[in-house]
Amino acid sequence: MQLILSLLQQMSVFFVIAYLFSKTPIFKPLVNISIQFPHKVVIYLVFSSFCIMGTYFGLEIHDAIANTRAVGAVLGGLLGGPLVGFFVGLTGGLHRYSLGGFTDLACAISTTIEGLFAGLVHFYLLNKHRKIDTLFTPYIAFLTTLVAEIAQMVVILIVAKPFSEAWSLVKLIAPPMILANSAGAALFMNIIRDQKTMYEKFSQAFSAKALKIAERTVGILATGFNEENSARIAQIIYEETGVGAVAITDCEKILAFIGHGDDHHLPGTPISSTMTFKAIQHNQVIFADGVEVPYRCSIQAQCGLGSVVVIPLQGDNEQVIGTIKLYEPKHKLFVNINRTLGEGIARLISNQILSGLHEQQKRLLIQAELKLIQAQINPHFLFNALNTISAIIRKQPEEARELLLHLSRFFRKNLKRDCESATLEDEIDHVHSYLKIEHARFADRLTVKIDIPEQLNSIQVPTFTLQPIVENAIKHGIAHCLEAGEIIISGTRQDSLLVLSVEDNAGLYENKPRSDGLGMGIVDKRIKARYGNRYGLEVQCQPNQWTRITITLPIEESGDD
Amino acid sequence: MISALLVDDEPLAREALADLLSSDPEISIIGQASNAIEALQMINGLHPDVVFLDIQMPRVSGLELVSMLNMDDAPYIVFVTAYDEYAIRAFEDNAFDYLLKPVEPSRLQKTLARLKKNYQQPPSLNPLASADLQLIPCYLQNRIRLIKIDDVEFAFSDLSGVHVMSEEGTSHTQLTLKTLESKTPLLHCHRQYLININAIREIQLLENGLAEIITQHGHKVPVSRRYLKMLKDRFGLQ
Repeated sequence: MQLILSLLQQMSVFFVIAYLFSKTPIFKPLVNISIQFPHKVVIYLVFSSFCIMGTYFGLEIHDAIANTRAVGAVLGGLLGGPLVGFFVGLTGGLHRYSLGGFTDLACAISTTIEGLFAGLVHFYLLNKHRKIDTLFTPYIAFLTTLVAEIAQMVVILIVAKPFSEAWSLVKLIAPPMILANSAGAALFMNIIRDQKTMYEKFSQAFSAKALKIAERTVGILATGFNEENSARIAQIIYEETGVGAVAITDCEKILAFIGHGDDHHLPGTPISSTMTFKAIQHNQVIFADGVEVPYRCSIQAQCGLGSVVVIPLQGDNEQVIGTIKLYEPKHKLFVNINRTLGEGIARLISNQILSGLHEQQKRLLIQAELKLIQAQINPHFLFNALNTISAIIRKQPEEARELLLHLSRFFRKNLKRDCESATLEDEIDHVHSYLKIEHARFADRLTVKIDIPEQLNSIQVPTFTLQPIVENAIKHGIAHCLEAGEIIISGTRQDSLLVLSVEDNAGLYENKPRSDGLGMGIVDKRIKARYGNRYGLEVQCQPNQWTRITITLPIEESGDD
Repeated sequence: MISALLVDDEPLAREALADLLSSDPEISIIGQASNAIEALQMINGLHPDVVFLDIQMPRVSGLELVSMLNMDDAPYIVFVTAYDEYAIRAFEDNAFDYLLKPVEPSRLQKTLARLKKNYQQPPSLNPLASADLQLIPCYLQNRIRLIKIDDVEFAFSDLSGVHVMSEEGTSHTQLTLKTLESKTPLLHCHRQYLININAIREIQLLENGLAEIITQHGHKVPVSRRYLKMLKDRFGLQ
């Protein structure tokens, strides 16, 4: 009885150490079954030291030591697997052996066996049955230790000489040691399991929060990093994190402030906090928890905010483009975790700002390219048109005059079309003006059929959708055709899609980049940028027979049709 | 009288030039062609003194047309184009002159004046030796086809003209054997036959130092004594 009590006593010391230890980061690998080598090493070191401690805290009885060494060996094996278990047991065993006594060899052997046995239990549960949760139950730890300790007693009886002494020792220590070690291992496992559950709950809540913020803020910054969008983002972060206040700044002024203190932290005012400047200047997270590092509002002395974390927002090449600040009021302590969450949020928002910038640049690029098409009424077309007119002007002055009118109309349309979309009718009209000129030039070598039902006329399409395609069909198709060329332009409505097609009978399409191929590429790019990748141009070609360009567009319901 | 051929794929452009030329009594327009293949036929058939040749034309450009001409009896070439001024300059050696569209009457006068001074002598065109032909324009059942040199097995001449044999059968071409020989890798194996070395499957030696080539598609092509030796040399045979 005395022995049980003292064993439980040393076990208590054990638990205090284990408990304190469980609060340190070293403990983290223990709660997850990991196959990474460094984690295995940590497990080995931790439990070997428990093994050794168990021996030291033991009570000397009859030239032997009643101890709690088994706890370390069994847990090492259970958490680390056969190999780790074996080495933990061996280490503990060798240490015990070095202390001498008539059971030294028996104890060394038995401890190694205990570690290995627990490791096999680990292997059996995990690899054979994938029961990771069962592995962490105190019950398994209890049973494993129970069996292991009985085995130890048997080993002592077999190995330790003389047998009579071994027998009387075992009679004395077996019940208390088996009981104390098993209970100890079970309790220890309980600590680990609690810790594990806590980590999981915590990261669950944490991830859920982060995901929620990510989900709600998606796309808001696509239209730019400005006051309006920042206010929406700040509001979402404020609601989701439950911090005292959230601020977003660019490098000069406050863009948004939501929460406590929004009476004097005003959006649009310049940054006054030195911490924010520091964060921007050094591109680092600045943390004032209000305890070790004091926080004082730079605007108003009686401001209720007591702590803050300032995290830089990064744009291209990790350049700082602003900050996000999470505050807590004075009566609330800053939870350390807010810092990690804050960093995550900052990264999320940085990415969103960046992708917003890219969106914007893409749009600008397309606009610029559009300008280029407008300006780039290609000189060849102009030359050809002028030649045609000059050729007929003497004999058919009336027709020449008409052609000039068409030419000027075509040019005027090209220049005036700065708006993004036009009706399909408008677009067809533009094609007509263009074709008038080409008709005169190619005469009977060019026939064009336009087959687009009138009901489609009012549908809105991006400007410069049809004409560049028709121009391409003539320039790269009909113009190279020895026989009479024909172009068929057709349009149909397929549910919510407008499908336009331009087909020539030359079949000379070559899938290679042309220096003057801007027309078709940009039409496709514009449509995709505006409506998504499902829409745009498709080219089909039957060599020397026909080439067909199909344009697919969504029909935007304007409500009046 | 200087006979002139006008080649342009745009009818109005031909008309405009014809108008300008008609005011000169010494020029007689003997034909107009709307593409290079028609033009080749007319040049070979009508032997004009001068050809006013557009550069941008369907399938076979004016520049390519020049490389298809027999240098012995080639006409004077005057390129007429709306643009590509630089491209023409590169070919200046092969042309007598070039004009930009729309053609200015005064500029045309200069060209004509030079022409009148020179047309008695044959034009000193530097043959476009480097410009090998990639395509042979042919007539195949009333259609104009451009046959790739690699697809040609052999070419031959008979009373009706020059023909090339390809996978699609025999087609008539306006090119002469001489042009084909100098502008393509085809080799003489007989006075009237040019063979594509890559199309030879076997050479059967006959009596009297004659031979016969069997092509990949099983056509038989005669080999004369004179050319057999050259063929053998080519393959390193004795």
